[in-house]
Amino acid sequence: MRDYSYPSVYFAYFYFVLLLVGAIFFFLRSVRHGYWGKDSEEAKYRMLKDDDEDSYEDLRRPL
Amino acid sequence: MQNEIAKSAGEIPVSEAVRYNESLHQDTTAKLFLVSSITYFFIVGIVALMIAAKFVWPELLGTVQYLTYGRLRPLHVNGMLFGWLLAADMGLMYYVVPRLCGVKLWSEKLGIATAALWNFIILGAVVSTIMGWNQGWEYAELPMFLDVLVVVAWIMFGANIFMTVAIRKYTQMYVTIWYCLGTILWTAFVYLTGNFAALFATGVNQANLNWMYVHNAVGLIFTPVGLAIAYYFIPKTSNSPLHSHKLSMIGFWSLAFVYVWTGAHHMLHGPISQWLQTIAIVFSVMLLVPVWAVVYNFFATMRGQWDQMRDNVPLKFLMTGVIFYLLTCFQGPMHSLRSVNAIVSKTDWIPGHAHMAVLGAFSFFAIAGCYYVVPKIFRRNLFSDSLANWSFWLFLIGGVGFFVTLWLGGFWQGWQWNNPAIPFIDTVVALKPVWIVRFFSGIFMFGGIVAFAYNILATMLGSSGNESSKMAAATA
Repeated sequence: MRDYSYPSVYFAYFYFVLLLVGAIFFFLRSVRHGYWGKDSEEAKYRMLKDDDEDSYEDLRRPL
Repeated sequence: MQNEIAKSAGEIPVSEAVRYNESLHQDTTAKLFLVSSITYFFIVGIVALMIAAKFVWPELLGTVQYLTYGRLRPLHVNGMLFGWLLAADMGLMYYVVPRLCGVKLWSEKLGIATAALWNFIILGAVVSTIMGWNQGWEYAELPMFLDVLVVVAWIMFGANIFMTVAIRKYTQMYVTIWYCLGTILWTAFVYLTGNFAALFATGVNQANLNWMYVHNAVGLIFTPVGLAIAYYFIPKTSNSPLHSHKLSMIGFWSLAFVYVWTGAHHMLHGPISQWLQTIAIVFSVMLLVPVWAVVYNFFATMRGQWDQMRDNVPLKFLMTGVIFYLLTCFQGPMHSLRSVNAIVSKTDWIPGHAHMAVLGAFSFFAIAGCYYVVPKIFRRNLFSDSLANWSFWLFLIGGVGFFVTLWLGGFWQGWQWNNPAIPFIDTVVALKPVWIVRFFSGIFMFGGIVAFAYNILATMLGSSGNESSKMAAATA
């Protein structure tokens, strides 16, 4: 059986680098999109109302 | 006309959906995933009890090859991880992500196909583990053709979620979406490494890759998706805004940069480089940063809201899960230290720790999510609040009994193993009382599963057990 240890390790290194570059890219984008600025708290208030439709549905249930 | 265009693009705002007198969300995929995952939770729970019983009575079930420990354990592990927990988490993601994005799920048909394929995989896993068609690697036991199907199903799931996020109404994403997207990408990386790359390495490199996979299956699959759920349902069930969205982002990014390097702490004192062991230890200790960022945020969200814990069952599961999460994430860094690891490694301590993470924290989050979501998507009241409360206490009593017993037993076992004067078989016999408590704790936990699964099933079928439901029916 051939030993694929080194190709596997290089593959793993490549994967790590790929993910690291991706993580840095999206982290920098998150800075640009205001996640670390003064508007960063808006999303937490908006999510509290995101399933209001369910209560509307109850009202529209046939009597 | 504009509304028609928006509708075809999957961008119907909630207010528009109400005007159109139609539901924005179909939730068929979420229903399929939740129904099947809860069914597997029940079935694999029986297998868990059989395994716990075999620790106490090794002759139980005789020598029938399909019921031996070597066949049942991979069935239990894979069934609980992929049949119950990951499938339930996926079902909850199909519910949560479209709502947070303010649009429909990108493709309900693709979601239904994913649910069908996922069920095929789980049934295939049941057959293959019982038959002994096993690759022999921890958490990576499934045969190659099922591994390939898991990859296909994950691409289908990921494409659906990513496309839903891509057509979202709001630019800024709530932290739950960040964790969902992270889970999808990290799972691809972790699963491919553990199930494919590891097979082409040999010796200690192979072992190292396998442990990286095993640890990150918990750390980069179940942790982010579990936290995604907790970040959504803790504010929802307590009706309180998250303490700090910025802090939640700090938690997310610190987890993203720290977690992946910790796997080698499973091989401390083993034949791998000292520098690799040290890196794993350092990053394991650094895990305290994202963990504390997450846990502090949840506790601060609950400030002034603790009285809700009296009768809000989903919140009971969620906050108890947070405490278990804190404990398990404190344990992890501590037993990655060389001195502690010398005692607890390979002992019963480790399943105690793993069960507290996967059952005590992440399954508690998923159960809370099911209790919140199922009544909403089936548009019925929960069958019984009282039964839900019973399920919580059964899980809690059984869980605490199980975890504590295995930690104490594991530590004791480790002390004995470190004494060369004690024959190994004596250490096995000495642990019997521990395994008896483990079995009876398992009965409590299985009772919790039965109460939970029955309650959800009765809710889906429209049975009316709640006092409030009965009163509403009587007045109607």
